Amino acid sequence: MDLERRLRDLKDRMTYIRDIFGTREDDSIRLLEARLGEALEREARTPGSVSAEELARLDDLFSFSERKLDTMLTPMDRVRIVRHPQRICLKDILENVYDNYTEIGGRGEFNIDPSMCIARAYFSRRVGEKVVRQMIMVIGHEKGHGEAYRNGGSAKPWGNAKALHYMKVAETENIPVHTFIFTPGAYPVEDWPGAAQQIARNLYEMAALRVPVISVCSEGGSGGAEAIGLADRRIMLSHGYYSVISPEGAAAIEGGLRGGERATPELIARCATRLRITADDNLQNGYVDRVLREPPLGARPHHYEFFRELRRELIQATNEAVSEVKSMKLFRAMAVRASRTDEAESIFMRWNLSPSALNRLVELRQRKYRAMSRHARLDGTGLFSRAAAGARGTVDAVHSYLRYDLLGRQKKRLDAMFEELGAEAHLVRHKLLMPLKRSMDKVLVSGPEGRRGVDPHEELTRLSCPEDGACLSGSQWAWISPRSQEDRTVSCPNVRTHHCPDLWVPDLLGDFAGVCPNCGHHFPMEYRWYLENVFNYRESREFNRDLESINPLNYEQFDLKLDKAKEATGLKSACLTFETTIESVEAVVAVLCAPFRGGSVGAAEGEKFIRAAERAGRKRQPFIAYVHGTAGIRIQEGVNGVIQMPRCTIAVRRYIDAGGLYLVLYDTNSYAGPVASFLGCSPYQFAVRSSNIGFAGPGVIAETTGLPVPPNYHRADHALSRGHIHGIWDRREAKKNLHQALLTMGGRNLYYR
Amino acid sequence: MVPDRHKVLIANRGEIAMRVMRACRELDLDFVAVCTEADRESGHIRLARELAGDGAVYRIVSYLDANELFAVADAAGATAVHPGYGFFAEDFRFARRVVRRDRPMEFIGPSWWVIRDLGDKINTKRIARSLGVPTVPGSDRPVYSELEAEEIAANLFDFQAAQGIVDGVVMVKASAGGGGMGIEEVGSFEAFRSVFRRIRNYAKRNFGDEGVLIEQRIFDFNHLEVQVVAERGGKAQVHFGTRNCSIQSTGKQKRLEVAPGFAPDVIPYTFDASGVLDAITRHSLAMAKEAGYDNVGTWEWIVTPRGEPFLMEVNTRIQVENGVSAVISRVHDRPVDIVSEQIRLALGGRLGYSQDDIRFEGVGIEYRIVAENTDNRFTPCTGTITRFAWRPHDWLTVHTQVPQDRAYEIPMEYDPNLALALVWGRDLAEVRERGLRFLDELVLEGESGGRSEAFYSNVKYLRDQTGGILEF
Amino acid sequence: MLNIKELLDEVKASPYREIVVAAPHTGVVEFAGLKPGDQVHGRRGEFKEKPGTLLAHLTRERNRKPITAPEKGEVESVRTELEGQFVEAGEPLATIRHFLTRKEVIERILQEALFLFRAPERAKYYFVPEVDQKLKVSGKRSVKVSEGMELMIVSRMKRETPLAYSGPEGIIHSVYFGRGDNVDEGAPLIGVCPEDQLTVIQDVVARIQSEWEEA
Repeated sequence: MDLERRLRDLKDRMTYIRDIFGTREDDSIRLLEARLGEALEREARTPGSVSAEELARLDDLFSFSERKLDTMLTPMDRVRIVRHPQRICLKDILENVYDNYTEIGGRGEFNIDPSMCIARAYFSRRVGEKVVRQMIMVIGHEKGHGEAYRNGGSAKPWGNAKALHYMKVAETENIPVHTFIFTPGAYPVEDWPGAAQQIARNLYEMAALRVPVISVCSEGGSGGAEAIGLADRRIMLSHGYYSVISPEGAAAIEGGLRGGERATPELIARCATRLRITADDNLQNGYVDRVLREPPLGARPHHYEFFRELRRELIQATNEAVSEVKSMKLFRAMAVRASRTDEAESIFMRWNLSPSALNRLVELRQRKYRAMSRHARLDGTGLFSRAAAGARGTVDAVHSYLRYDLLGRQKKRLDAMFEELGAEAHLVRHKLLMPLKRSMDKVLVSGPEGRRGVDPHEELTRLSCPEDGACLSGSQWAWISPRSQEDRTVSCPNVRTHHCPDLWVPDLLGDFAGVCPNCGHHFPMEYRWYLENVFNYRESREFNRDLESINPLNYEQFDLKLDKAKEATGLKSACLTFETTIESVEAVVAVLCAPFRGGSVGAAEGEKFIRAAERAGRKRQPFIAYVHGTAGIRIQEGVNGVIQMPRCTIAVRRYIDAGGLYLVLYDTNSYAGPVASFLGCSPYQFAVRSSNIGFAGPGVIAETTGLPVPPNYHRADHALSRGHIHGIWDRREAKKNLHQALLTMGGRNLYYR
Repeated sequence: MVPDRHKVLIANRGEIAMRVMRACRELDLDFVAVCTEADRESGHIRLARELAGDGAVYRIVSYLDANELFAVADAAGATAVHPGYGFFAEDFRFARRVVRRDRPMEFIGPSWWVIRDLGDKINTKRIARSLGVPTVPGSDRPVYSELEAEEIAANLFDFQAAQGIVDGVVMVKASAGGGGMGIEEVGSFEAFRSVFRRIRNYAKRNFGDEGVLIEQRIFDFNHLEVQVVAERGGKAQVHFGTRNCSIQSTGKQKRLEVAPGFAPDVIPYTFDASGVLDAITRHSLAMAKEAGYDNVGTWEWIVTPRGEPFLMEVNTRIQVENGVSAVISRVHDRPVDIVSEQIRLALGGRLGYSQDDIRFEGVGIEYRIVAENTDNRFTPCTGTITRFAWRPHDWLTVHTQVPQDRAYEIPMEYDPNLALALVWGRDLAEVRERGLRFLDELVLEGESGGRSEAFYSNVKYLRDQTGGILEF
Repeated sequence: MLNIKELLDEVKASPYREIVVAAPHTGVVEFAGLKPGDQVHGRRGEFKEKPGTLLAHLTRERNRKPITAPEKGEVESVRTELEGQFVEAGEPLATIRHFLTRKEVIERILQEALFLFRAPERAKYYFVPEVDQKLKVSGKRSVKVSEGMELMIVSRMKRETPLAYSGPEGIIHSVYFGRGDNVDEGAPLIGVCPEDQLTVIQDVVARIQSEWEEA
């Protein structure tokens, strides 16, 4: 009977190899198949004819071939490994790595989101005579070996919300968090709390979560991975992948496919290779701290040795994170640093930290991310100007410190006193003088307007210039689209419901600022329009102009596309950052420009954004992100792009924690990564009417969820009703509203003025 | 007089379309007319067919769709556009589009920038103030802030009090509203705030825009107008006298106009009436000069019981009542037609005379004959006109789109104006007598819902009003 | 009592409706190459997001707009002689023979069963804002009307006057006019179902559901 079981095992191993390598042919596979087939056939003909030694030899052959095949794995094979139902999943880890655990909130299908699993677990550690239990909050995706209701580990927004909730619980309890990433991506529905917005919230909280966080990544699919991935130590399993997008998704975009069309397996495999998604790629790029070697062809539930490795690795990583910030216990800290993983079990340290140590922990985490992805951008700024900028930054910071912190506090007190006095005086004056003024007005009435004093805009009383070209901008706008020169009409998309008349393009794009006067539909408008008409660009100071997008992965043909975008837009990246004054309020503005590669965010854009946030913090000015449009993270930069999600979110978090006012204004179409991180985490997000905000486009939603997507699913008004954004602005009133927002949300305690 | 051979697209309907057609014939110009489904049997379409043939009439979906007008203009090869009054007459964007298209045309009206600048009440008042011309207070634009609203209201009450009006009334209305909804009257400043808030909330709820207009209710004021005519280039401006348009229906619709604006020699006014007429013509011409006004237009004034004139607004278009100014005006002792002058000047003709060449003679009355129930808030009446006839006189002109030889169904999409009658007399007494005679001789019968007694017109109302014209 | 069978037979005798597709405005027409006998369909999709079959393009002021079939049916005639020509507004372009759908038959027969509140004069009609809101949010059957209730606004000659409902008390079952349509005098505005007759009406609907075969 034992023989039969071993034969069955070998058969399973054969199927597994077939699954992983797909249709690919290889000598080793053929050999294995032949040998196993022969043995099976013989056994079937005359049971018991295969001897134990023969079986042992066969077993050895399998092991040998698996090791050999392991060296030949392509990135796409790895994708198949992590998605295989036999792949280890979180439940296996809870069973085998931790000494005990209790799952929180969920029993199979009866769960708010079966694809997100929370558990309290502990490691039992022997310290001298005593046994100590070290508590851990375990949070991770559960694939459940292919159980359908687990959704393949694709967490729903409320699943991510649950994860966040328990991170906060861990914070209260001062115990470390271990997160396990087993997700192909987040489930892209917009229902509250919203796929993108919830990931953004998670990132925002994790950016300053006051407990050690260790993450383990097996399948790291973009946004879904980031939702629980921001950690002090990031361990990656050697057969896992961590990517900006699934290879299938990349292939669909690459091939320009729409609707139900499928990309060819070859294209998908090529994309998987190009995106540089393997553990070693990510280690090399510095996005993970350590790669944990798996058994050949990937860890499966029976690889008990692997679980022991994982346990050691987790203890070691947690120890490291903790010891780095502990002020005392120097000897053990050194020991931890010097030790290799296999000694981890022997070193014990408490994992709860003092408040000051937690501060250091957060600071280190933030610095760690700040230093990433330097290689993936090009800083064209000269060495000298860079030094000068650095010096200027310091001066700014000192100046702000003096002005706001040291002197500012005194001044604030004085100001408040004067204000009180002033209000008092005003009341007296009003009561005494108003009746007097009334009667005087009555006596002195000459013209009805006489009272108002001289209009400062008297020069405007003259009629505008006769028709001499320059008067074309006779509208109220400082800049109008060059598209407005064309003599033709367009139909409003709402014509069916609102009976809008056709619009003459010069009127529409000129006077009406691209807004249908009948129904208020906003036609897309160039970002220049906002720069000139809202952000006072002409008098602004742009900075970091020479930070340039490059092609860090040498993605095929991407250099050419990038050059084209640079030439067409005159920009070096999709992000434009400048200091400006909006109605006498000074602010730092970051713009994501849609014409540059769809406004996608890569390493250069992320860095510019971070620097803008830092500058706003140094100068104590409000920080405004105007998103003219963004298609998401730039997939051609692979993880160099994805990593901008936590990086930028951390920058925003630091800025807000320091007291800054961070405003986001969405326009046209804003999707995916940026919305799910540094944009979506703003407490004040507004949208220009008729814009779309969401996580994934309708096509992707239909494909992943199988649900029909209603038209206008991502429209701003729906986003508003779902609670994702906090207001909708008319384009023509964007400046007024922005100023109003700066006044009402800024107020005294904020930076500006 | 007109340099090129032009083809004029008449972008309007009814009486004004007919007058423009006749003026075009007079000036030997081709024209194209447009009509909607509801207007196929209307007088202006019949006249167009009569004067220019079937090919000169194009069916369009609405007079308010500019794209239709331009599409027809291209299809018919029109080279100039006459907007009439209403519809696009004061829409500077329409006027601009006419001249800015790839195939530009002449716009028969003031230049678009003149329309834009004088169409904006605030701007108009700024120009007026810069010339020392007194203007009427009012919100001019939708008001959103309560502080501003109260200031305007206080201004209005003060103004009315200063003009000797005891029970001043201010109207508060939703700027996006219409049809009598969202309007309230306020009698005192104390009550103003609560009414303002109520209207603002109402506007926000019903129209989505909380802008509110604050205006005065004109009770005891006289409404006077100055007819200005100017040539292209804005160099030469003359006026064709004043009109008194004080007799209006409840909806501020004029029903009877008289030229000139006052009769100082006949009626004893409590103020210097000829001085007022002189002042408003002087001010109007000065403003026209300042603004470089370059076609026909009307300066609208109110005159308070104290005899003080205040500028209300400028109408940058031909008006319905242009005819009543024309009947009393003589250029080089010859009669004048303001519509023809408008077209001629817009197409580049020189004025060819100065103010000194214009003389005024006698008194004119214009009656607007409307199917409406004057006893019931001037509610318009739908139905069919079965008989419409009058006795011709050399002192009488009637402009109407209602055919005299057959029944006519009043189209319901537009104002129920049936006809304009112009009566001229040597003096006030004669014109009154002739006016009454015309109204007595007029036969107007119709039915509404199949019953003749349900048909209403304002003929009796006009007769009642004739006795008191020009009195203050 | 309603003789549903008779009414149904009457409809079955001529189960078609002729739809004349006219130029919605002026412009130059280019036909999409449909011939008499071709099948067309109206708007489709779960959210009615897919437009109907393309019949022609109409270009006005350089704006090329598609004209699509409003309903399912068969092309009866196309005025191909107008190809490339400037047409005036309202010019017939094509005719479609539309086989009545079950819903349309129900509406047609229900007109016999419901109390019809008719337009007192030719005008545009709107529901008063409160009713309009309720109709939009909760659907037609949610509004109860009773004698003297201020239900609509009559708009004609730029004036708007309120119109009170008169007739038996009941719920609004059908609405026969569209926003901005001119309604002729005597044409039905709404169909009201007295509450005690609700079962009768439902019965009619059920009968037609089962007896009418959709093409």
